Amino acid sequence: MSTTPAFRLGALALGLLAGVELCAAGIENRESKIENSAMVLIPAGVYVPLQRTAKDPAQVAVASFRLDAQPVTNAEFLAFVTAHPKWRRSQVSRLFADSSYLENWASDLEPGPKAPLNAPVVRVSWFAARAYARAAGKRLPTTAEWELAAGAGYTGLDGRNDEALNRDLYAWLARPVPAVLADVGTAKPNFHGARGLHGLVWEWVDDFNTAMVTGESRGDSGLERDLFCGSGSIGANDTGNYAAFMRQALRSSLKGNNTTTSLGFRCAADLPTR
Amino acid sequence: MKNPTQYLISAALLCAAFLVLPARASEGPSDAKGPVVLPPTVLALPVEQAILTSPPHVPPPIKRNYSARVIVNLEVLEVVGKLADGVEYTFWTYGGSVPGSFIRIREGDVVEFHLNNHPSSKLPHNIDLHAVTGPGGGATSTFTAPGHSSQFTFQALNPGLYVYHCATAPVPMHIGNGMYGLILVEPKGGMPPIDKEYYVMQGEFYTSGRYGEEGLQSFDMGKAIDEHPAYVLFNGSVGSLVGDKAITANVGEHVRIYFGVGGPNLTSSFHVIGEIFDRVYPEAGLSLPNANVQTTLVPSGGATMVEFKVDVPGTYIMVDHSLTRAFNKGALGMLKVNGAEDRVIYSGKEIDAVYLGAQAEAGSDSAKREAELKQKILAEIRSNPAIAGLTKEMQVEKGKQVYMGLCFACHQMDGKGLPGAFPPLAGSDYMLADRDRAIRTVLKGMTGPVTVNGVTFNSAMPPQEAVLTDAQIADVLTYVYNSWGNTGDAFTRDQVKAIRNEQH
Amino acid sequence: MFGSDLLPIMKNAAVLIALFLVAASVPNVGASLDDARGRPQGTPLQEKACCAATEKPAAPKDACCAAKSAPKPAACCPATPAPAPKACCPAPAKTENPESETENYTKESLYQLEVTFTDDTGKTVALGDLRGRPVVLNMFFASCGYACPLTVTDLLAIQERLPAAQRAQTLFVLVSFDIARDTTEVLAKYRAQRALDGQWVLLRGPDDSVRELAALLGVKYKQEADGMFSHSNLVTILNREGEIVHQRQGLKGGLEEAAAALAAVK
Repeated sequence: MSTTPAFRLGALALGLLAGVELCAAGIENRESKIENSAMVLIPAGVYVPLQRTAKDPAQVAVASFRLDAQPVTNAEFLAFVTAHPKWRRSQVSRLFADSSYLENWASDLEPGPKAPLNAPVVRVSWFAARAYARAAGKRLPTTAEWELAAGAGYTGLDGRNDEALNRDLYAWLARPVPAVLADVGTAKPNFHGARGLHGLVWEWVDDFNTAMVTGESRGDSGLERDLFCGSGSIGANDTGNYAAFMRQALRSSLKGNNTTTSLGFRCAADLPTR
Repeated sequence: MKNPTQYLISAALLCAAFLVLPARASEGPSDAKGPVVLPPTVLALPVEQAILTSPPHVPPPIKRNYSARVIVNLEVLEVVGKLADGVEYTFWTYGGSVPGSFIRIREGDVVEFHLNNHPSSKLPHNIDLHAVTGPGGGATSTFTAPGHSSQFTFQALNPGLYVYHCATAPVPMHIGNGMYGLILVEPKGGMPPIDKEYYVMQGEFYTSGRYGEEGLQSFDMGKAIDEHPAYVLFNGSVGSLVGDKAITANVGEHVRIYFGVGGPNLTSSFHVIGEIFDRVYPEAGLSLPNANVQTTLVPSGGATMVEFKVDVPGTYIMVDHSLTRAFNKGALGMLKVNGAEDRVIYSGKEIDAVYLGAQAEAGSDSAKREAELKQKILAEIRSNPAIAGLTKEMQVEKGKQVYMGLCFACHQMDGKGLPGAFPPLAGSDYMLADRDRAIRTVLKGMTGPVTVNGVTFNSAMPPQEAVLTDAQIADVLTYVYNSWGNTGDAFTRDQVKAIRNEQH
Repeated sequence: MFGSDLLPIMKNAAVLIALFLVAASVPNVGASLDDARGRPQGTPLQEKACCAATEKPAAPKDACCAAKSAPKPAACCPATPAPAPKACCPAPAKTENPESETENYTKESLYQLEVTFTDDTGKTVALGDLRGRPVVLNMFFASCGYACPLTVTDLLAIQERLPAAQRAQTLFVLVSFDIARDTTEVLAKYRAQRALDGQWVLLRGPDDSVRELAALLGVKYKQEADGMFSHSNLVTILNREGEIVHQRQGLKGGLEEAAAALAAVK
């Protein structure tokens, strides 16, 4: 693993460059965002789906991609709703964001004391997160991408046995959502240089509606064919990884217009084609 | 046999997967089925709001002799509370307490159940009421995201005392964090009148720290899987029913305890020290109460009702008679009985004298010798390749299974990898050149550029040292070295072990 | 499934069958169903003029764009021809970012979702193009071997029992999950196989459109390794404004309720 630091720096540098590129190509004035929208390179790897059918492979190859180094902040989201009135709290359609959308903000264009500018934006719907990503020339990460990136520890590619990371993650899980969230900068970057994948907020993924549990988690090993076409999952591969279960349960409880006090997002982007 | 009403209600329960929101126009499309169309006979029933109580209190007996439509509003709250002195825990609760609010209804009632998940919740929750007849006991119908609310309707068909609990993945964690409670469905004739009623529930807590370790504790899934709780508690905290918080009665009164076990895992041997239960409704069934019971067994996810008359004043200790749970893990509560002494029933200590028993026998050595012999035989089998070792063909066969489960996603079935992403293993000069490095790569993973057959790849291979055993790695490498035109000797688990243990 | 050399033949056959159906169905449906094939002709009479205007392929560029920016052009034309909007209107300033053009949809209209699909004749169809008709909407995939065929059978039964006047109005819309395999040709073939008349709209879309529509409806779906899909079974009934008036979940039963909800759409 002697190549690691150099590799990581390289990835960061590439990510930074890419971030700047993207911003320059952006369709709106987002000067203030340039320093915050740094992206990191997530190298290709494998994602082990939590639940799968008998026919599905145990591992899924994921191509390398870029991921925001940190979740989208209130400041960044403010810039977005300023440029896109449709997504302001008072104007958004209930179809696309439920009534608690940005409820912790003081007003349409003022996050206020309960939503510090550098804290991750929460109470955003999937539709809003998607619109933000689109406006930024990016997209939301897929479940596989997100989980691959979040699978890294602080010091290595495989976070499963990274004690420090697990301690932070489980400590976060053990606490209720604070009334005011901490700045994104307080989260320690993981091996890829991405902050806050664990221990800050939950995050939307683009394909959240592939999480096919029914809420009757005990029955999910054989989904009723009348409710879901196709063969049901054969169950989980790693029953001890309960943080992953919790993410899965959360995703499957959500609808596209839902917002919660601990659910934010970050964006991803494909690598430029060579 | 079901009447039409029951069919309708069953239909509501059969509803599909994502009944999360009640139809609420302002919140966009809902995938909920909408309120069940109740027949006029049900609509004509009087409507009442259920009285909910926190432990150890029980709502008042139901006086009516007719069915009603009962509206239950239960709120899910994730709250930090006291597990023991100096020990905090984030409880996930129904109604803010562990166990959750006690619900009391009557057989035949049609219950409109609202589960409200507080906006500050981190997670979705639901409820499975064992009193519900229908798939999941309401679980699918009440799966509710944070800051949302679900509604479903059921008819209480069977009288009895039932556990309810959360059934959201991971279920043992949701229960282990306190998501359980009791719902009493009184029979049509009502429960027999009694002087005092109390609500006690047992559940165990799997904390990251040992019993008594101070600070905010988190849930430890490993301990839950091993069923090694640090705490086994009545009503959610050490001392919840002790001292000033003890339940009380007066001499001569009859007491009924509604006792349930939330689990998630342990069965309780419920016992009140110094009392004999005059009547126990085994497993909370109402038909045949047992008389004169000392200890009653209550399964995880089950309940019982015990009744007894208190004749003698003093403090009675309630325990799980699996006693280290009571004395080392907290499963202990108190019933304080006030009133005049009756020394004919109970005299108090009359005599204190010395008694010398026989010395305990020392254990024989034979058992020890037997164990040693077994160890020897085992070691012999392990060291004899004819018995324990695998032939290369067997290794290839086993290794193929490992490969098809793990490696092929990147390196492909044909071992040719994916151009531009994952290097080939078939005919790989890099891999075949160094067997130890191959073992190391599987164990420790690899990142950064690597040149295989003249092509440079730059991707990441995850380490497998935590995933695969030495034998599995030996097998999969033997397979890879003997497939797709590759040829090579078998790998042994000792070779893998040596690399696994090498110092950097 | 088929040798690749067979595919063109199959496609041609499908097209032929589709064409045959068009030809065959027109005389059968009578005056009230002059829209036997394709929805453009099927729009209510009072809207026809408008549609004719926007559909003129020969219209000069400026005129076309002017029409596009008129108050409600898309809404009145169930199926804007595929090339029309993009080809002739160079700058709908932000195609990615369509909030600038707010249709006067109601607050609960699903048609606020600005996504487009392609139908089985290759025409581009914006979701909002469905406005003005009662709609029975279902997501499916053509190679589904269990749930989707049953649902389509149920929908046919619902269509069957509609009074004639309402049958002429109501659209049955199938939107495919299977972006890769459910091509225009496959959808056309599906239409032929299931004998779906001109009231049926079969749509395929880019991934974004399918995912956003699914999220809006509350449909979950996931492609499996063998290319099949796990998915929720959810039939949605929309009123003329695109508001959900009923959803049927699961596979069995619920036909009466669905039909009643549909009948209640005025």
